[in-house]
Amino acid sequence: MKTIINYKNIYYPPGGILLWIIIYLELITFGIALIAMVYYGKEEPSLFHNSRLMLNSTYGMVNTIFLLTSGFFMASAVNELKANALQKSKTYLLITILFGFLFLVLKSIEYTGKLDEGLDMSYNSFFTFYWSLTLFHVIHVIVGLVILISVYYGLKKPKTTIEDVEAGAAFWHMCDLIWLLLFPVIYLIF
Amino acid sequence: MKSISIITWMVLLLLTIASAMFSNAHGIYIIPIIMTLAAFKFIGVAFQFMELKKAHPIWKSLVFIYLIVIITLILIIK
Repeated sequence: MKTIINYKNIYYPPGGILLWIIIYLELITFGIALIAMVYYGKEEPSLFHNSRLMLNSTYGMVNTIFLLTSGFFMASAVNELKANALQKSKTYLLITILFGFLFLVLKSIEYTGKLDEGLDMSYNSFFTFYWSLTLFHVIHVIVGLVILISVYYGLKKPKTTIEDVEAGAAFWHMCDLIWLLLFPVIYLIF
Repeated sequence: MKSISIITWMVLLLLTIASAMFSNAHGIYIIPIIMTLAAFKFIGVAFQFMELKKAHPIWKSLVFIYLIVIITLILIIK
């Protein structure tokens, strides 16, 4: 599985050019939505502040830690694969997937609590943004986990390349990047 | 495991905890501090975990431009 890629070439960023175009498009989409949320928050500051206080920022913080830890093990899995340590790489990939699932479990607990309190999408404009943005992100995490599971089983096949694994890793890290912007805006600044 | 990855991971966790602690404080500098910490974390993940540090300068520049535009707009509007 050894391969030499010149990442300095503009057409070969780590993960592949197509994935990086997708990453920038996703980041721009979420960025515009966050700016819209801040704009609406400026219109109704007390509503956004009181609604933000209804969120459990500890959940948000722990979920950030889960995703960052998952991203760390993903990066380690890619590094081990490049060093031809396949078994270690697979172990790290499994840990990556585990932390991804932990993120989803905690998000489910948080969502259940909100729904039990009646804080659904139509409750107010803050929660419309909260549900839209976090659910859209959760969909990305689920897709990312499906990709990682397929990468894990793909590692058994000799035709799987490092580029394939790097592409999956880049998508997974993109979920981190999006969350790193969602967490402070939704849970902390209003 | 690369030691630089371990250090990056630990710094990212510390910055996350610091962000959450800052959110309980009051003052006009709190939001810029929280967003700056988020930008540092973003750069840490992109450059270390995604290995963007090895990429062509145009890809690195796009990340910085994105962060500057988004965070500046958020801070101006807020």
